[in-house]
Amino acid sequence: MARIVEAYVGEYASGKSEIAINRALELSGCGQPVTLVDLDTVEPFYTLRPLKAWLEQQGITVVGSGQEESFGLGETGGRIHPAARWALRREGVIILDIGYGVFGARTLNLVEGAQADPDLRVLAVINTARPMTSSVADIVGYVRDLGRVDALVSNSHLGDQTTPEFIIAGHRKVVQAARELGLPVAFLAVEERWREPLEAVDLGGVPVKYIRRYMPAALW
Amino acid sequence: MVEKPITGSRKAFMTGNEIVTWAALASGADIMFGYPITPQNEVMHYWTRLAPRFGREFLQTEDEISAGFTVCGAVQAGRKAFTATAGPGNVLMQEPFGMAEAMRLPVVAVIQQRGGPSSGTVVYSQQEVTLTAYGGNGEGHRIVYSVATHQEIFDYVIKAFNTAWTYRFPTFVLGDGYQAKMREPLELYDPAERGIQLVPPTPLVGLPGAIGEDREPQHLCNIYSLEEELYDAVLRLEKDYQAMAPLVVEWQEKNCDHAELIVVSHGVVSRAADDAVQALRQEGVRAGFFRPVTLRPFPQQQLREALRRSGAGRLLVAESSQGQLLRLLRQELYGERVPIDALLMPGVGIVDEDIIAKVKSIL
Repeated sequence: MARIVEAYVGEYASGKSEIAINRALELSGCGQPVTLVDLDTVEPFYTLRPLKAWLEQQGITVVGSGQEESFGLGETGGRIHPAARWALRREGVIILDIGYGVFGARTLNLVEGAQADPDLRVLAVINTARPMTSSVADIVGYVRDLGRVDALVSNSHLGDQTTPEFIIAGHRKVVQAARELGLPVAFLAVEERWREPLEAVDLGGVPVKYIRRYMPAALW
Repeated sequence: MVEKPITGSRKAFMTGNEIVTWAALASGADIMFGYPITPQNEVMHYWTRLAPRFGREFLQTEDEISAGFTVCGAVQAGRKAFTATAGPGNVLMQEPFGMAEAMRLPVVAVIQQRGGPSSGTVVYSQQEVTLTAYGGNGEGHRIVYSVATHQEIFDYVIKAFNTAWTYRFPTFVLGDGYQAKMREPLELYDPAERGIQLVPPTPLVGLPGAIGEDREPQHLCNIYSLEEELYDAVLRLEKDYQAMAPLVVEWQEKNCDHAELIVVSHGVVSRAADDAVQALRQEGVRAGFFRPVTLRPFPQQQLREALRRSGAGRLLVAESSQGQLLRLLRQELYGERVPIDALLMPGVGIVDEDIIAKVKSIL
């Protein structure tokens, strides 16, 4: 079976961590050993940290600092867990949750072997409810600035105020942008509750992944 | 032709800091001055990304003292200027904020509160209430809006510019580390299309006409060398402030009729208090909700009236600080005999269950 190595990049609050967690749980559920790597140096205080223990209970190996390991660090600036540097040497599935924007995407350069890894796929998560990626032209410009991107992930939503119409309109923009960029859309991510209304919709042949929202629990 | 930042209205999913930027753009802000500090950094990040697109400007100064003073300078030149900061940055800006009080400058500042005492703690807290409302060597002649939701961040940043340029007291939008980073849906809109008229900025210096002939002198004074002079100046400020206060004071009151106890909270904690009061009411517990939206001026008359109307025998203050809202409340309710209980959790978020448990332990 092919080795799966995925790095999620994209705009601030586009859903990178949410998609990474869901993907890790999905693949772990298929019986594969999964390592989830927290490489968000931009937001060391608002990422996977509060969910680390729970994710480990689900059988996922999380490379990143937990709540206690972060105590006493204060405003130390960007910091990645030392083990994250060697994450690509691990067995099994590797999911990398990367910091936002162009500078966030460059964090990938800190991971040993990232340039040469034949299995690595860099996926840019796009939510059209984010004002910087709300139109086809904005998405194309944004993704071009990010550096290496191998595929887009379509993830348009409005949190609790999401509607199927919003998801579909956003998805069509992402598909159009991907066409202009010459990239595939790896999948459309939507909350489980939209399974029924979306089943009969033409999504341009893009596979759908039904996800759950875990990140709201990361803040409180 | 520079495009409008927002036309019509549209839904978006955003963090609090980004909203500050979009609201400032929609308010017609000309320039932001700032110095990086967590948790407000994305206000600057997004302003610097968006400002060039809409013909606006930005200057990163060498520190927060300069950021505050450059805002003071820009507004005198007739530019809508603002800054955003937090924690120790808010401490450093107290000197320029004092100048703005003295000279009646329409300075707008967004404060994303962080924890203390500390120069380096970046996490959520509600410990900048005293500093924002009463910091500086003066009498706290400021307006402080404490926001609770992402929609309010957008609405109140727009309102803050209008309030500042109408009454010329320094005006603050008080958020916190959680609101800065949280993601929520909201509606972005063009204020004009909601019937909100933006107050145009006007220069405060270099006015046309000869002094004494065409106009009175524009006396923007920040230095008083005689005690009596200062005395007169402070009394004048106080008089103007008290005249303005009833026009800007804002509060929210819910379920206070026949309440046995009223929960008082502000900012993001008031969301938990609102949920808690509704849940308690469903259980038959007669709890009420009161939230000062302006911490300065404080809606003291409205709270006293809510107490009288409800006949509530107790107040409960809930806040993520060791009693900063509680102290305000004691000062503003002086003379009332109602006992005040407190749920004080400095640095820690408060959820509805915390408040429900506390209310049940009291009643």
